[in-house]
Formats: sequence, C-alpha cells, structure tokens
Amino acid sequence: MNVLQEVLQFIINALSLGGLYALMALGLVIVYGILRLVNFAYGELVMVAGYTLLMLGAGPIPWLIVAVISVGMAVLTSLLLERVAFRPVRQASATTMLITSFAVSALLQNAAILFVSPRAKAVVTPSFFTENFQVGNLLISKGNLASLVVSLLLLGLLTLFLRRTLLGIALRAAADDFVMTRLVGIRANQVIATAFAISGFLAGVVALFWIGRLGSVGPFVGSTPVLVAFVAAVVGGMESLTGAVIGGYLLGTLTVGLQLVLPQSLLDYRQAFVFAIVLLVLLFRPQGLVRGRAVTERV
Amino acid sequence: MQRMSYLESFGKWSTGLLLAGPLIVLALVVHLFGGEVLQRILTVLFINLSMVLGLQIFMGNSGVVSFAPIGFMGIGAYASALFSMSPQAKAMALRNLYSWLVPIQVPFVVAVIIGGLMAALVAALVGYPLMRLSGAAAVIATFALLIIVHTVLINWSEVTNGPRTLFGLEAYTTLWVSAATGILFLLLALWFKETPLGLQLRASREDEAAAASVGINIVWVRWVAFVLAAFVTGVAGALWAHFITSFSPLAFYLPQTFLIISMAIIGGSASVSGAVVGAVAVTAIFEGVRGVENAINISAVFPFTVSGLTEVCLSIAMILILIMRPSGILGSRELRL
Amino acid sequence: MLSVEDVHAGYGAIIALRGVSLHVNTGELVALVGANGAGKSTLMATIAGVLRPFRGQITFEGRSLLGLSPEEIVRQGIALVPEGRRIFPSLTVAENLRLGAATRRDPAGVQRDIEEMCTRFPILGKRFHQPGGTLSGGEQQQLAIARALMSRPRLLMMDEPSLGLSPILVDEVFAMITQLHASGVTVLLVEQNVERTLDIADRVYLLNTGRVECEGTPEQLRQQVDIVGAYLGDTQERS
Repeated sequence: MNVLQEVLQFIINALSLGGLYALMALGLVIVYGILRLVNFAYGELVMVAGYTLLMLGAGPIPWLIVAVISVGMAVLTSLLLERVAFRPVRQASATTMLITSFAVSALLQNAAILFVSPRAKAVVTPSFFTENFQVGNLLISKGNLASLVVSLLLLGLLTLFLRRTLLGIALRAAADDFVMTRLVGIRANQVIATAFAISGFLAGVVALFWIGRLGSVGPFVGSTPVLVAFVAAVVGGMESLTGAVIGGYLLGTLTVGLQLVLPQSLLDYRQAFVFAIVLLVLLFRPQGLVRGRAVTERV
Repeated sequence: MQRMSYLESFGKWSTGLLLAGPLIVLALVVHLFGGEVLQRILTVLFINLSMVLGLQIFMGNSGVVSFAPIGFMGIGAYASALFSMSPQAKAMALRNLYSWLVPIQVPFVVAVIIGGLMAALVAALVGYPLMRLSGAAAVIATFALLIIVHTVLINWSEVTNGPRTLFGLEAYTTLWVSAATGILFLLLALWFKETPLGLQLRASREDEAAAASVGINIVWVRWVAFVLAAFVTGVAGALWAHFITSFSPLAFYLPQTFLIISMAIIGGSASVSGAVVGAVAVTAIFEGVRGVENAINISAVFPFTVSGLTEVCLSIAMILILIMRPSGILGSRELRL
Repeated sequence: MLSVEDVHAGYGAIIALRGVSLHVNTGELVALVGANGAGKSTLMATIAGVLRPFRGQITFEGRSLLGLSPEEIVRQGIALVPEGRRIFPSLTVAENLRLGAATRRDPAGVQRDIEEMCTRFPILGKRFHQPGGTLSGGEQQQLAIARALMSRPRLLMMDEPSLGLSPILVDEVFAMITQLHASGVTVLLVEQNVERTLDIADRVYLLNTGRVECEGTPEQLRQQVDIVGAYLGDTQERS
C-alpha cells in the first residue's frame, strides 16, 4: 500500500512537471520548425506574463481574468517581437537570428531590472496552488493536478488545431517546406505570426503554473523555462513537435526521479548532469529521439 | 611578383600597426595624464579586448557561434588564483582547499599562463567531439558547456569557495600588463588568420562542403582554433581575476557572455579589426552609460536605484546592428594602409 | 494570357535569364525546352514570384505580376508543379490536397474536387491517409499535379514532371498532361524530354543560355533546328 502510494505520487508529480516542460518545449519548437530560429527570448515571454500577474494580481480583478490577460500579454509580446526584431532578420543566417533573439532576451531582462526591480517580487497566487486534497492516504497538490490536466488539455487542443484546421496544416507544411507552402498560396507572414502567437500562448500558460509554483517573479524568472525547453527539445528532436512533447515528459520524469534517488551532494550537480546528457544527445543522436525532416546541421 | 608579395605582406602587417598603434598611444596618454578611474577603464578595455579576440579566433574564423568562452574565462580566473595566492590567503579564503594545493605559490606570470593552459586543456578534452556541430546545434552544445562549467564552479566549493565570493587575490594586473597582453593577442589573432590553418578554417566558414571536398579536416582545424581561443580567454580571465581581486562564479555567466558577444557582433566578428572596434565601442558605451547611471543614482533624481540601463542600451544597439548591418561595423574587412 | 517581356533574372551575381520574352494564350499547351542551365527553372521561379527579376515585365491576364509575393500570384490563378515535386512529406495525401486549395473559400467545392482528384488519380484515394513522404516517385508526381489543380488554376506551370520517373510512369505523366490540356487547362510545361514534348505541345520555345533561341509550332521547330544539336549545343559554356 505504501509503495503503491509512492508510485502514484511519483506518477502525478512526473506528469505534472512533465506536462509543463512539454508545453515549454513545444513553444520553442513550433517557431524553430518554421524559421530555424532558436528563440532565446522565449523565457522572457514567461517573464512578461509573470509581471502582468504581479501588477494586476494584487488588485480587485478576479484571478482567472488576470490569468487570461497575462496569457494575452505573452501572446502580444511574442507577436510584437516577431514584427519588430525577427522579421527584419528573417532572410539573414540562422546565426544572426539566434543572436538577435539573445539580444532581445537581454533587452527584456534588463528592461525589467530597469523599470521594475532587479529583485524578485512575491506574486499573489490563488490558494489552490498550495492546497492539497486527500484521496484515501494519498495527498495530492491541487496545483500539480491542475497543471497535469491543463497541459494534457492544451496538447489535445493543439493537436486538433494542427490536424483539422487549414492554418494548422499550413503550419506543419511550413516546417516541411516553407517556400512550397507559399507557392500553394499560404501567406508567409500569417503562418509565422501564428507560430509566434502559439509560442506566446504556451509561454503564458506555462507562466501561470510556473510562477504559481515559485510564488514570485523576477527578471530572470524565464531562464529556467527556456533552458528546460532547450533540453527537452534537443532530447526529443528539434524538428518534431511530437519529439518536443516526449522530451518534455521525459525530462519532467527524470527531474522528479533524480530528486528521489540522488543524494543531496550530487543533487547540486543535477543541472550539469542534465546538460551533459544534452551534449551526448547532440553528438550521438543529433536528430533527437524523434527524427524529423532534416538532421541537425553537422560536418 | 616579388614586389607584389612584399606590398601584400606590408598590407597585412599594416593592419597590426593601424590597430595596435592607437591603442598603445591611448594607453600611454592615459598612463601619463589620466586619473585612476580612466586607468581602470582602460585596463578593463584591454582585458575585454583579449576576451573578444579569443572569440574572434574561433567564432570569427570558423563562423561557428560559441557560448563557451565565459566558461573558459572562469576556469582561467580560478586556476590562476589557486596558483598565485599565498598559503595564508588561501587558508583565509578557501577553508576546505585540498591540502596539497595550499602551499603552492608561483609568480604571477606563471599563474596566468597556468590559467590559460587549464582553460585550453578543458577545451581540448571536451572540444573535439563538439567541433562536428555547426549552426543551432553548435550554439546549444556550447551553451550546455557553459552551463556545465558554471554549475561545477558553483558547487566545487573546495577550490572555488562555492557560490560565495573568493577574495584575497593580489592586484597584479596593471594597465601595462593588460595592455601588453591585449596587443600580444591582437598580433596573435592577425597571425593566426593568415596561417595555413587559419585559411583552411576560413574556407570552411564560407562553404563547409567545398572545404571538406578539397581535403580540409574541418573538425581538426576548428579544434585547434577552439583550444587556442580557450587559452587566450583563460589568460584574459586570469588577468581579470587579478584586477578585480575578489569575485564569485556568478561573474562567469550569461550577462558576461552577452557583453563579449555584443562586442564581436557590433564590431564584426569576421575580422580582427572588427573585434578591436567592437571591444572599444562597447567598452566606451558600457562605461559611458554606466557613468550616467551612477550620476543619476548619486544625485538621487529618482527615489530608486537605476540599474540595467547600460545593458538595455547595449542590446538595442546590438539589435539595430543585426538588422541593418548583420556582419558588424567592419564586416570581414581588415583596416589596411 | 501570360506574357513575359525582356526578363532578366538570376541568383545573386549569377545571371540565368538575359532578356527572355514569351507568351502563353488561353487554352494553349506551351513547352519550354533547352539544355541544363538554359534558364527554364529560373523562368518558372520568376513567374511564380520566388525570384524577383532585375529587369523586364511579366503580366497575367493584363495585370502585372511584378512585386507580387508567391502567395499572391497563386491567387491570380497560376499554380506551379515544381521541380522535384516538393510535396509535403509529413502531411497526409488528404492534407496535401487540402493545402492545394488554400486560396479557395468554398469548402463544399474543395471537398468535391478532392473526391474528383481521387477518381482521376486512383492511387491518391488509396493512399489518402498516408504521409506524402511514404509515396513512390510516380505517386508523388501525381500528388504534386493534383495539389496544383486543387487551386483551380487558369494557368498550370509544370517544371520537369517526368524527371526521375521510370519509362512507364513517364508515359503516364505525358498522358495526364495531354488529358489535362484536352479538358481546357492552359499549360506551361518545362521538359528535358524534348521528343515527347514536341508530340503534345501547341507551341515550343527553345531556351539557350538565358535567351529564347527560337520559337514556333513543333513542326516549325523540327524543321528550323537540329533539336538534338541545339539541345546538347553548349553545355560546356555553363553547367
């Protein structure tokens, strides 16, 4: 009974964290698939949503509405960045785009330092993030359960969108062959803007749960999500949306698992281990677990 | 023909003169007439120059973006500190240092070289397999390397004092030490570019497939440049450590990476001249805006401290350059007579 | 219907077209032949809007196509079956067809056309829910043509549709083109298979190193030049 309990607990924790990680990775890969842009500024979308939560959360507006506005802000920021920073360098090399996103990321972080504060600030989050409920002997965190359910729901909706709507199909087609997608009459700007909007939306939803877990928001709140997204995307396969989801759940499970089995002294090195795995994957299976269209560039 | 090649080689050497000359004059003027603040700024400028030259040697010639340099800077800084600090200082600052390391103390120059060599050694060991990667994969891989080095520096408290500040280094790095090193590396970078290996590396930047088809071993030439660049960066880190004299692993992470990448991008990473221009321009912007920032804070115009303004200006400058002149102010051209 | 006047175009410093002029009348099957590197594919890409010409004029039904993006040119009624087929490998046959009709706003009509394509190309019906990447070369070619037809183009441009296909499939493709033409579609066809092309075309342009060397009906062309000679003529100049 005790073992069963721990197993269940583990599964719930792993699926909950893995779901968040999967959403993070998807948000990164959906843009990468089309533009070949590794968007460092993705984490700052989480930050923007977080600061919206911070500013409106203390007021009289119900949390759910604040949450919707926060996600909306992340979407808007993502679209704005596409228009202002990434569209002008779209024709340039992948390296130029990547460094542009790195600069945009630095710009947003430091703007937060400049205009808000260098330090993290506590965010008012609804009490259910910290509440638990009991099923038999099992103690379940409501926040974890919510992120588990929401991430599965969003993955389902996104799948429907990508398979059933013309825009969704066009998005997948653009990842296959961007020029050909234009040659059948799909508007390039529309597809790219859609990808950025989805990316921003996912970052916004991630922010709700991520910041709910942390309880605070600061200029660097987005660095962990973006790193997690990198790792999950590389491990799962940068070219494949399915790969990103698998990578996310895998990383979530691994994180929860390592927490259980590693002694404290090694736990501090966890980040080093995870990134060593990234290096190994890049070297020995650069296409990731799920093979997409083209293999990652290498000599 | 013979005449041409003399002219040609003079043209190449004139780049070194054109770049080093003004820098030496600047150092001289500041040394004679500048106050302490200016001298410190110039010392930082030459350390930055060494850093960005390290980046130029690898990234500029190979076209492969590397996020790893700041990791090598950190390795150089800590390694040199371990060898330059007196046993007493170590006993104060690093309580848990391995006992065999405590009594070892070597002259500053030797410690700096050890710092560079340690960085080069790590680069040599982990770098070879990474050199197969280009583009986005290379960026993520070197990024992973930076994070691994950073995590190790933070947690290996026996030699780094953990996330806490390491203090007690002697301020050996004077303006002239840093200027001499910067100019030495400037000439090294110019020389490396024109060596057969440097030429092969640049050929592989233009067209990987074509370079491979004429028999260039791309992994090998990239690796040599990577290790050389790590040495240069490690030395720069060692100089910085003995300039600032107390620091923590937090000094070797993304903000610093952003700073030197912005130098390379703004100046133009494909040429040594670009690296020099970038280092000078960014250091000037950085110190200039920081001066404004400090002035605002001291005069207390606002009820809060202003910080981050420097980085905001720098990132905007960088984005504008990337949009309007993606190859930087100088692109791949070298200044020549 | 389509008129190209004095078009110069190329990639960067490489100039592939040096003043090409041609026209296609409604209902015609016009063929472009010429050696490798003669500029046939460049011309197709330029008409489709993938390349911007340095100089010259392109008009379709009296309207200029210059400066229009590829997605806008499709909306004018021009569809391209590109070289190498370029179907979307990770999309199913059904999704490939549906994207072909991306510019249309009549879902019922699109549905009807998809069914018609599956009748016309039975193999597509059989492979309807399979990813395009799993189809054989000949099947992919049929899918590429069907996808282009889904936009109900008034002008269909085909770039080397028989390239890389087995002889039996080449027969099939040419039969398909003849049939399309007979059903009233205007076709601009680029082909290396000169003999077969002359058999089905109304008019032919012979391209050589970025210029129109001669034009006329297949009969005129056969008389005017030694086709084989011109075809192999100056491959040494640019390849």
